[in-house]
Amino acid sequence: MTDKLVITGASKAFPGVKALDDVGLTLKAGSIHALLGENGAGKSTLIKIITGVHRPDAGTVTLDGAPVVFHNPREAIAAGIAAVHQERNLIPRFSVAENIVLERLPGQGGLVDYRAVRADAKRAMAPLGLSLDPDTPVRNLSVAHMQLVEIAKALSLDARLLVLDEPTASITPHETDTLFTLLRGLRDKGVAILFVSHKLDEVFALCDTVTVLRDGKNACPSRPLDALSYGDVVRLMIGRDAQAVRRTERTISGSPVLALKGVSTALGHRNISFSVRAGEILGLYGLVGAGRTELAKSILGVARVTAGGVEVDGKAVNIMSVVEALGTHRIGYVSEDRKHEGLVLMHSVRRNVAVTVWRRLARALGWLPDAAERDTVMPFIERLKVRTPSLAQPVSLLSGGNQQKVSVAKWLAAEVRILIIDEPTVGIDIQTKAYLHELIHELAAAGTAVILISSDMPEMIALADKIVVMAEFEVVGELPNTHDAAGMGEAIMACIHKVEAA
Amino acid sequence: MDLLRTDWFGLLVAFLAGATALALTQPTFLSTFNIYVMLTAFSLSVLVALSQMVILAIGQLNLSVGAIGGLAAIAFAGTMEVWGLPIPLAMLIGVLIGIGCGALNGAVTHLTGLNAFVVTLATLSIFKGITIGITEAQPFYGIPDAVKAFGNARIGFFPYLLFVSGALLLGMLVFMRRAKLGRQLLAVGGNRSAAELSGIHIGKVVIAAHIISGTLAAVAGMLAVARLQLGQPTIGDDWLIESFAAPVIGGAVLAGGHVSVVGTVLGVAIITLINNALVLLNVDPFAVQLLLGALILAAVALSRFRDPP
Repeated sequence: MTDKLVITGASKAFPGVKALDDVGLTLKAGSIHALLGENGAGKSTLIKIITGVHRPDAGTVTLDGAPVVFHNPREAIAAGIAAVHQERNLIPRFSVAENIVLERLPGQGGLVDYRAVRADAKRAMAPLGLSLDPDTPVRNLSVAHMQLVEIAKALSLDARLLVLDEPTASITPHETDTLFTLLRGLRDKGVAILFVSHKLDEVFALCDTVTVLRDGKNACPSRPLDALSYGDVVRLMIGRDAQAVRRTERTISGSPVLALKGVSTALGHRNISFSVRAGEILGLYGLVGAGRTELAKSILGVARVTAGGVEVDGKAVNIMSVVEALGTHRIGYVSEDRKHEGLVLMHSVRRNVAVTVWRRLARALGWLPDAAERDTVMPFIERLKVRTPSLAQPVSLLSGGNQQKVSVAKWLAAEVRILIIDEPTVGIDIQTKAYLHELIHELAAAGTAVILISSDMPEMIALADKIVVMAEFEVVGELPNTHDAAGMGEAIMACIHKVEAA
Repeated sequence: MDLLRTDWFGLLVAFLAGATALALTQPTFLSTFNIYVMLTAFSLSVLVALSQMVILAIGQLNLSVGAIGGLAAIAFAGTMEVWGLPIPLAMLIGVLIGIGCGALNGAVTHLTGLNAFVVTLATLSIFKGITIGITEAQPFYGIPDAVKAFGNARIGFFPYLLFVSGALLLGMLVFMRRAKLGRQLLAVGGNRSAAELSGIHIGKVVIAAHIISGTLAAVAGMLAVARLQLGQPTIGDDWLIESFAAPVIGGAVLAGGHVSVVGTVLGVAIITLINNALVLLNVDPFAVQLLLGALILAAVALSRFRDPP
């Protein structure tokens, strides 16, 4: 087989973080190549170099034997590279059909021929068994359908090199099977496919070769997958054997601190019930789009609860705003989206952490002494081992892991009783991840009721005391955690599949 | 129910209700001359509104709409009076000024990555400065009679000015619905990174939008010269609020990705109606501003309710 794409010595730095350091990858025509690594290992950066979004600081990219430099995604597409990126890349108000053929709308004289648009779109969706109305606006679709539309769009380019970044994150196993059959067909026709997934069983089922990245470096250069075991791959990804999180002994007190009883929300949740006690870690598991983050925001009063009841300490409450959630009930929320919701990136570490306690620190006339802020913030920064030159450092200049620590620190400073932590370890390094896991245990041991939202199954099984499984904005199962990775994984997926089958 | 969700249905009802109320209470409202006056005002305002609407479509703002219109108006009038250029050539120069100013706005916005608010705030000052420099704040009075005649000509209640803006309006309607470039504008406004990753040339689209905006503003400026019968250097000074008001009333999303040509036209129609009503009813002109502000707030609140983000 010929080499379709060869990357050698690729490096890329962003302010405060070296995303890629001397990375190589060889992708052969007619093969499916897995690109693996933990969050933050540099997979997305590498993909963005291949698809022309970023240019490497050093290193070469060779396509079909000739060196190439893509200045923008257009040039990569023109060179026959199609991609499904991890972020949603659809125009929400445009129809399914228009999104699929967005940059090559058919028609003459500058005018669009909408009949041809629909026909092209249907042709692109057919191989995936997707039968959506081409005129439906994309924003009315479920997350799974959006993902399938993006895949249809990429496949319709008839590319010779296909990059798929987590294409199965929110689609059902059945849809995944259809996709894999298609991909194998493309491979047999000589297409080179780069496949990124966190689901190792998918990788082993589909891929021929593998490249593993760790902390922006090659943990293994491109090599055949059948010579490796699951354990080998995990070791390559995390740099050591997978090990259990150190669990602190905890007492979980009797009555629930927070209880949801048959809650429905304005965002579309139906009949949600669960409760969490002091010192307990409740895991909320589900695929992307299952409605977990939206549920957290409904508890916080960002969106309305339309039916059922929320109880804090056994008393019915009606939380109307985040101010009330934090001020009255001391409920905190560590956002999954630290860049947009968790932190004010251009502000200093000190201000980012202190924002939750300004009300407590303010003197007469709202005067906020620097010293008071510093004294409050410093212990948390030290405790979380945030690596920052000073408290005045803008958060934007810290690494992803340290940003996440600051994002958590502000809620530690707030001294909340109930803490909702949403995808705490996405995009951060392994050490910080392990550290945050220990911290979550410590918090619970100190009596905080923790709700952990995570799509990372091992993380969920390692941390949670009980796991509430959500799908399509409903609770589809509540399982006590046995901490048996294989058994729990199966039990959780069984809950989700049950709903899909129905 | 589907009608209620469109951008234009509520506006049409509001417009018809207002017009009916005026027709029943004010005998002069339906007079040929009054309708002509309203349509004349509409002819100018609709181009100004569309000029802003195109920029709202890509999720930006253009504060220099009025300054471009003013500069084009002055160039149009000045080249005819001072250099004695024939009318078509002067018109061409006016249009080229619109294209040039728009291209400058678009190119600077795209190449520097600066916010269009800041860029067009600066160019507003630059264009206005050139206008004042050329005219020394004095109007050009020597407009050819043909231009003056065109500005006053009408068939019954139908002003000739409306032929020009009507044609451009229909062009924009087709452009935003069916033209590839029109769809690309909305794609860039709707999700910039998705458009870029799909292979759409962002810079080309942004610059094209600004060129269209500048051209529409320039034509509006030249129509204003015909209507006023002189090259007034203050042309365009009072366009800013209206330019935003009509598209926003018409359902435009300020973050980009959604505008409605029909809604914008109805927005202009409603604003024209209010202006006319307050004249007929002898209301203080300050009330127009007040009412317009209230209308913008109501329109935005309504669209939030109808179409949550």
